[in-house]
Amino acid sequence: MTRTNGSRLITPVIVTLAGSIVAGAIAVGHTWGDALVAEIVTLVLAVGYYLVTRSNSDLGAIYGHRADERQREVLLRATRLAFTVMLGAAFLCTVISVALGDNYWQADLIGSLGGVVYIVGMVGYGAHETNGAVVERGIAASSVPPVDERDLDSPEND
Amino acid sequence: MSSNIYIMKNEVREQRRLRSLSQVELASELGVSRQTIIAIESGKYSPSLPLAFRIARIFDMPVDKLFDPELEAEA
Repeated sequence: MTRTNGSRLITPVIVTLAGSIVAGAIAVGHTWGDALVAEIVTLVLAVGYYLVTRSNSDLGAIYGHRADERQREVLLRATRLAFTVMLGAAFLCTVISVALGDNYWQADLIGSLGGVVYIVGMVGYGAHETNGAVVERGIAASSVPPVDERDLDSPEND
Repeated sequence: MSSNIYIMKNEVREQRRLRSLSQVELASELGVSRQTIIAIESGKYSPSLPLAFRIARIFDMPVDKLFDPELEAEA
């Protein structure tokens, strides 16, 4: 909870960098005027994010990188919802693009990448038995030695 | 496979008021947000074990006296 003001700047800086990259791409592929508009929108968004990070709310704590365990769980649930919607949208875009005879590799790439990372994440996190949402400053479950099968038959476990 | 649904009741609000602590003060002591204290007190959020123990330590009482898992329903 006690984070420096610097942590509040992380999200606005990331938004500014990402938006500037998009604006740069627009400058290359379109016009400088369009790129300027994109950059202005980016800066407005970055200021908006900064104002949110200053607020005393769950959203402010999450974007300000000072979330506690409940807020990290909120973030995890929101991320899961966003992923599900994005995967569904990628699937829909692929189907529509194929039906229209258009290029569909972009949507296919997003969907496939998301699906592969999802499976890799399940295998990886499952193997380490950690719960990213609620592990706080305690001992990570991955550092706990494996259960000796003989212990399972011990009368102490009854 | 059936699973039990537990509603975690707690005495955090009562104990906090007994000690004349505000939600902000308790949140600050625990290093969490005031919203999380509100969620715990209203039973909408069950804290992790480390946080539950820290709350119990502040109130100087056993965790199982502070938190009481009541069987609500069987799914």
